Amino acid sequence: MADIDNMNLSEENEKEIAADAAESPEIAEDEALKAQGAELSKADKEDEIKTEKTEKPKKQKRSILSYERKKGLYGYGFIALWMIGTLIFFIIPLIKSIDFSFRNVLPADGGMEGPYVGFANYYEAFANDPQYWTLLVDVLKDTVIQTPLILIFSLFIAVILNQEFKGRVLSRAIFFLPVIIVTGPVYSIITGNISTSGADSASQFSTMFETDLVGELLNFIGIYNISTSLTEVIQTLTNEILNIVWSSGIQILVFLAALQNIPHSAKEAAQMEGATAWEYFWKITFPYVSPMILANFIYTVIDKFTDPTNPVMARILEKQQVEWEYGLAAAMAWSYFLIILAGVGLIVGLINKFVYYEVD
Amino acid sequence: MKKSNTVAAENEKTVGNGMSKKEAMKIRKQYMNREELAYLRRKRAFECVWPFFRFFILLGLGFVILYPIIFMISHAFRDPGDMNDPTVMWIPRNYTLSVMKDTIGVMNYWETLKTTLFINIGCSLVTVLSCSITGYGFARFKFKGKGFLFAIVVLMILVPTQIVMMPQYEIFRYWFAPIVKAINGTERGLIDNPLVMYLPALTANGIRAGLFILIFRQFFKGLPKELEDAAYLDGCGPLRTFVQIMVPNAASSFLTVFLFAVVWYWNDYYVSSVFFNNNQTIALMLKNLSTQLSQKLFATSTTPDVRQIIVWLEAGCLLSITPILVMYVFLQKYFTEGIERSGLVG
Repeated sequence: MADIDNMNLSEENEKEIAADAAESPEIAEDEALKAQGAELSKADKEDEIKTEKTEKPKKQKRSILSYERKKGLYGYGFIALWMIGTLIFFIIPLIKSIDFSFRNVLPADGGMEGPYVGFANYYEAFANDPQYWTLLVDVLKDTVIQTPLILIFSLFIAVILNQEFKGRVLSRAIFFLPVIIVTGPVYSIITGNISTSGADSASQFSTMFETDLVGELLNFIGIYNISTSLTEVIQTLTNEILNIVWSSGIQILVFLAALQNIPHSAKEAAQMEGATAWEYFWKITFPYVSPMILANFIYTVIDKFTDPTNPVMARILEKQQVEWEYGLAAAMAWSYFLIILAGVGLIVGLINKFVYYEVD
Repeated sequence: MKKSNTVAAENEKTVGNGMSKKEAMKIRKQYMNREELAYLRRKRAFECVWPFFRFFILLGLGFVILYPIIFMISHAFRDPGDMNDPTVMWIPRNYTLSVMKDTIGVMNYWETLKTTLFINIGCSLVTVLSCSITGYGFARFKFKGKGFLFAIVVLMILVPTQIVMMPQYEIFRYWFAPIVKAINGTERGLIDNPLVMYLPALTANGIRAGLFILIFRQFFKGLPKELEDAAYLDGCGPLRTFVQIMVPNAASSFLTVFLFAVVWYWNDYYVSSVFFNNNQTIALMLKNLSTQLSQKLFATSTTPDVRQIIVWLEAGCLLSITPILVMYVFLQKYFTEGIERSGLVG
């Protein structure tokens, strides 16, 4: 069976070689034409004897020159498919959507049209829309609280899953399970059903995590109303533990990969010097995974922001598909995207100063 | 075998001058200062306690993760009447398969599954092919404007699909309309046609294609350059080098990207909700299941209350997630190890 496959493969390859051979002179000729220019080729045609004499050395020179360029052309060949697709399915839509955001777009026959209205759509979104601004602030606040929690949680789990113990494969399988489910409608339906059936995450499966109990526990320790923001963080942590655990699958995966790339020598050196687990984490693990913290940060933020179930996104969708206000929807989407981009850019710039890159 | 064992045992004895390990340790400890001793003690204590902590942490969080799954399975097979029985929490009193059968009927499950698989597997395969070719182009060739073009790839990852969705709709609806009308006479352009998913996938612009291109680029960059140089010296063209040398080496990377593509195409309901008017894929069908239920199943009978509808919804969830869950159970290794091997990190 394998032999037959090989045979087939080699046959195909021979064909390919033939195809390559057929292609390459063409390319070379094209190149030559460009290089020589029209005048030279005219002269060549007029004086046949001359060309016969000079052809040989010329050709050699061409092939030497064109090797790098030929490879470059092959590079274009490899990405040509993507370039065409990106132009049609990404660049043009992107420009169009910027264009939409400055217009009062109406669906017309053969496309979308409408008069230009300047920044009126943006003004409408921020000043007059009753929900957009509040939803935006909510989403931003949620992201600011949840992103660090997700990062810390996934790093913690990755460190644990990186250790050797019985049942590691099983626990890995369980922790990555969200990756295959969470992007679909299943997760939102189930969580919706859980809350309608009263089997809510906070109140049912663990009374310890109930918000009141956390408050009581703090009171018991002797902390009364520390500060509202801290209480809020604790509340988010306890109420949204399901959400956090379910949205950190990919992050765990990436951290785990980074942890396995820590060289053994670093581990040994730390052990020789008598580092405790705590010191080991901060002095060895943390610097090594810091580039991935940055990557995971970007991934988490983008994931949270572009999630179709996120309220701002839902509002934009509503404008698009229910109220048919494409211009306003585009303006909302763009202002939203620019805010994310500015936030991510700012924080990436800040974090980048503390990131340790081993090789460059 | 036995001989070597005894030799090893003898070695152990002679190395420690006939002492056992414990005794040797005792003597070594005499020369240690207090800090070193404290370190050893702390380490031992930590190693004793930590496995228990680890076990409880993993158990608790594992339960949190599995909670929705358990909820789903527990509700999918119970009689709707059990929902209003306060004594029933996890284990149903009356098992029934009729809910499952109803849901299969409402979702038109087998037909939908066929369409979904056709779109899903095909698009994933095509995505893997196109993204790998593009990734290879970015990894190994020098050409003008490469930095700029790669910036566009990064932009593809960053820009939310929602921004480009409406103009894309316009393109599919109107740009392709004349061609499509000439072929099969429909007025609606490519809308409701599987090509709506296939065309972007074919040109490396499908769902999360930017991420896949990035993964392939990183992977191909990590492979030794000598591999290709040898192939070029032997007279291989770049295309043949890619097909014969690079692709076999990247098999694990291909599988990982393929699996993720399958998962993301399976779960996608946003893109398909814009381009498909009928509920053609499983994810779309599930998204609109509650309306479907009230239209088809409860149209003649009385509508059950909010709590009872959960039973049908959960059955729908179970039905739509089972194929992908089965795949995960068998190919779990490639999901979790694929990214490590793909060279995305480091």
